[in-house]
Amino acid sequence: MQSFVDTYGFLIVTMTLQAMLALSLYLPLMAGQLSLATPGFFALGGFVSAVMSTQVFPEVPAGELFPLPYVFLEMGIAAVLCAIVAVIVGFPALRLRGIYLALATIAFVEVVRVVALNLPITGQAVGIFGIPQPFEDNFEYITISLPMLLIAMFFVYRLERSRVGRAFAALREDELAAAAMGIAPTRYKVLAFVMGAVLAGIVGALNAHLLNTWNTRQGTFDAAILTLAFVIIGGSRTFLGPVMGGLLLTALPEVLRAVAGIDGLPPIVAQFLTEGRLIIYGLLIAFGTLFFPQGLISPDIFRRRKKPELETAVTKAEAVS
Amino acid sequence: MNDLLRIDKLTRTFGGLVAVNNVSFSVQDGEIFGLIGPNGAGKTTLFNLITGLTPVTSGQQYYQQRETTRLKPHQIAGLGIARTFQNIRLFGNLSALDNVMVAQHLHTHAGIVAGIIGTPGVRQEEKRVRERAMTLLERVNLADRWDQKARNFAYGDQRRLEIARALALQPKLLLLDEPGAGMNPNEKAALSGFIRQIRADFNLTIVLIEHNVPMVMGLCDRIAVLNFGQLIAMGEPAQVQRDPAVIEAYLGD
Repeated sequence: MQSFVDTYGFLIVTMTLQAMLALSLYLPLMAGQLSLATPGFFALGGFVSAVMSTQVFPEVPAGELFPLPYVFLEMGIAAVLCAIVAVIVGFPALRLRGIYLALATIAFVEVVRVVALNLPITGQAVGIFGIPQPFEDNFEYITISLPMLLIAMFFVYRLERSRVGRAFAALREDELAAAAMGIAPTRYKVLAFVMGAVLAGIVGALNAHLLNTWNTRQGTFDAAILTLAFVIIGGSRTFLGPVMGGLLLTALPEVLRAVAGIDGLPPIVAQFLTEGRLIIYGLLIAFGTLFFPQGLISPDIFRRRKKPELETAVTKAEAVS
Repeated sequence: MNDLLRIDKLTRTFGGLVAVNNVSFSVQDGEIFGLIGPNGAGKTTLFNLITGLTPVTSGQQYYQQRETTRLKPHQIAGLGIARTFQNIRLFGNLSALDNVMVAQHLHTHAGIVAGIIGTPGVRQEEKRVRERAMTLLERVNLADRWDQKARNFAYGDQRRLEIARALALQPKLLLLDEPGAGMNPNEKAALSGFIRQIRADFNLTIVLIEHNVPMVMGLCDRIAVLNFGQLIAMGEPAQVQRDPAVIEAYLGD
């Protein structure tokens, strides 16, 4: 057991973090907005915690652990900062639709990267090293990341069944008809975008500690496409899709490596399995959309079975009063 | 009589095309007002102007004496103007029930946090919204198929579902864009009865676009006739029917 945790602890924590990133892309998608800004906010959140833990908070004496409350404080500050940036970016960007919004949000990811590459405080090309550890062991991060994932899942599950979630779904289906039914499109689109940004920022803040180092290789265009793959392959019509996509596809390279280790495989196949990760993701997206257009998880698993009751005289009177 | 809706010299151009040209009329509280005219006369554009989906080029419009010319679609919906669409625009992947629940957005208040926690107030609101939606579905005879996706409904059923969705907004003014499209004479007669009934039950004022002359003549209190974006006649059905300009527009010289 201990050796399993040693080998796979980091991977399992990363799986939960990536599942949350997939959810952060799914949130604006709930309102029909294909935003790829997630890695930008993820990078931003990571820089917040990297800068704060190495330059703002008092240095932790050697041999002692970084206090957890500081980590939570960093996550909170990352959330607030990402929310502010998301509002500023969201209002103009969300005037764009479909593929144009995707392009604009990729541009945002690039802007974050280039700014970080040039600012002294983010360590420029070198990045920030020696981010202090709140845990002895990588796997212990699961005590934060798993509850976070469960809370995020609960949040989105409930959201989809609430008034705000219905407004998102209406916008996703037909923005014009939704507006004619009294739903303010800009307001709800920005709201969905901000929620996604906040989640990505919080995940970034925690991930910086886990990685111990943070630089501009975190949160790039590649990451945007990967996160999109989580959502497309997992399924984009219920929150379980992105979560499953994030968990499974993050584990995939390790699985492939294990498969490549099987004796008797031709060397070229083994090499493809270990190093052709991005090619395999690309193939999965292509064939996944062809054969599972809904993704792995279909929303039908949540269909309500019981027929609701009609209004009674009593409830009608309540509605009027 | 009170003007519920008044439009004044309303004009909309698309490039060189004048889709709606200097049109003025008012719709009175409680009436069924018909908007007729040949294809391309500007009827649907006029609906889009009234509901804010298309910005006005010039002119003004007023609802309950309040100017609405520059308001956004959701603000106009909030004042109590609901509509259906000529090319049905339901939320296709949502269930019939959800379609009608969505349209009660303005009459509910649950915020994000309360909605996620599911406070007693929110739960009560949800129950109310759901039961109200079922009642409206019952009204248009679709209650049995409440959980089916809207896009799987037959054409006529989609039209009725759209009316139920519009009613969920609790409007005072209901705009129906060709509610009888694709129906046979018997169905149109039943639709006329249904429209009169909902006017009475929900206290509505109704403006409707319709091509079928017998239906319009029998149903509407007053009629406006558009041709090439211009208002060419207006008045009670019998009077409009005799108008030489209307006869010419419909039959040609």
